[in-house]
Amino acid sequence: MLSELSELFRYRDLLFQLVARDLKVRYKNSVLGFFWSLINPLVQVATITIVVRYIMRVEIPNYSAYLLVAYLPWMFFQMSLMDASQSVLMHHDLLKKVYFPREVLPLSMVVANLIHFLLALVVFFIYLLVLRAPIVATWWLVPFLIAIEFLLVAGLALFVSCLNVFYEDIKYIVSVVLNILFYLTPIIYMSEMVYNRLHAAGRDLLFSLYLLNPLNAIVVAFRKTLLPPYSVPPGRSTPFNLQDLPLDYRLLAIAAAVSVLVAVFGYLYFNSRKWSFAEQV
Amino acid sequence: MDNAIELQGLGKAFKLWHGRPNTLKSLALSFRRPKPEELWALKGIDLAVARGETLAVIGLNGSGKSTLLGVIGRIYRPTCGKVVVRGRISALLELGAGFHPDLTGIENIYLNGAILGIKTRDMKAKVDEIVAFAELQRFIDTPIKAYSKGMVMRLGFAVAVQVNPDVLLVDEVLAVGDEAFQAKCYGKIGEFQQAGKTIVFVSHDLDAVRRVASRAVWLDQGAVRADGPTDGVVEAYASRVGRDIGKGGTDGGRADGPGVA
Repeated sequence: MLSELSELFRYRDLLFQLVARDLKVRYKNSVLGFFWSLINPLVQVATITIVVRYIMRVEIPNYSAYLLVAYLPWMFFQMSLMDASQSVLMHHDLLKKVYFPREVLPLSMVVANLIHFLLALVVFFIYLLVLRAPIVATWWLVPFLIAIEFLLVAGLALFVSCLNVFYEDIKYIVSVVLNILFYLTPIIYMSEMVYNRLHAAGRDLLFSLYLLNPLNAIVVAFRKTLLPPYSVPPGRSTPFNLQDLPLDYRLLAIAAAVSVLVAVFGYLYFNSRKWSFAEQV
Repeated sequence: MDNAIELQGLGKAFKLWHGRPNTLKSLALSFRRPKPEELWALKGIDLAVARGETLAVIGLNGSGKSTLLGVIGRIYRPTCGKVVVRGRISALLELGAGFHPDLTGIENIYLNGAILGIKTRDMKAKVDEIVAFAELQRFIDTPIKAYSKGMVMRLGFAVAVQVNPDVLLVDEVLAVGDEAFQAKCYGKIGEFQQAGKTIVFVSHDLDAVRRVASRAVWLDQGAVRADGPTDGVVEAYASRVGRDIGKGGTDGGRADGPGVA
């Protein structure tokens, strides 16, 4: 694996060129260009906020901010996997003609989406500054969170892009699983709501299992490191008896370990099959 | 050892699926399906190419020439046997690999160069030379979807010759284009030869083979049929192919070498 990594490092310029190509081509013929990568999550967040606030009548102060801060890492996760699952198959002709470390194809997709994610986070930061929202003391954790999520996404991207070469069902499975995962991850709701339900039912273990999904821990950590704890104003009651729990560093450490493992095994699996891609006619 | 390339007992088999299981459903049912047929594109190849030598590979379509380049160029892993290549290797199997129609000429130069393994830093130094060589100064900031076929080809070639390997694999890509373009290509090959590079060259153009290579290998159904000085091998091949054409091409192979003597 080390020799594969050093070969990948030798081809880092190719990785950057592919990322540049993706960023240039994606919005090449659109007027708003890069802004589309910001408009999409904002419209989603606005829509969900309207549904939750005014139709379902769940009142959490500043709900849209809590939603957005979870939606951005989710979008990085989702878009990367969707793009990556097709990446190797799309370049099939190239694989038959040129030698290069095959992993640059899915990884370039992950990096391109990472750049979108980082820009969106910058915009989010500016938004917080404009609103004069209190800066949470733990914001310095954010780079670690990004790194953890990057490893998780990269490992999964290598895995699905490889499988998709052999079984084209994978891209459909990926989109179905992503759909389910969106609701299994505390994005439109708070993880405390699940905790309250399961805790009341005496099923703390189930809650731990629920948080073992590394994406859960990551999304929750993004929320808690970037935004102050939510508080329900006195006199108001939410249907969920919402109370913010502190960030659980143990769970975050487990998520980091799982992400590293996913990255390592994803890469090992990809490497074990990458030289047969060109032979799949 | 002063061999740039050594092949020992090299064999390459491809799996030929008759209805291959490319969906999970058919995978689950695959115990009922016949096993894939093994198709040996190369078998028992022993070959050594000395440093600085230019070797031509000739043979009918389907004789394994491209597979041989693919195996030497690390695109395919050998099924059995050994491949040793000493030094940096570059394979020019296609011009303009990875060109994107929506990117400009200049953007595609960097992309294509990176795909061929050239550092972006090195490309920066060469970009003017590439544009001049491709004669595309006026169009270099235009997306290449507006280019003619010939322009795309010139651009691809101009980037491709920037590779600086010890071992160069060249497919028939050079045989396309008009006379002037071909002359330019063979001129570049001559430069590579003078620089002491090892070249493996696959072509159907027997005249070009005679001009460029000192040694030729005739591949027939995945095995070496003849190996030696170019003139002898080319002659044997041409007369054999000529006879097959006379008989009406019984083996299903097609002799499309224009230079059949």
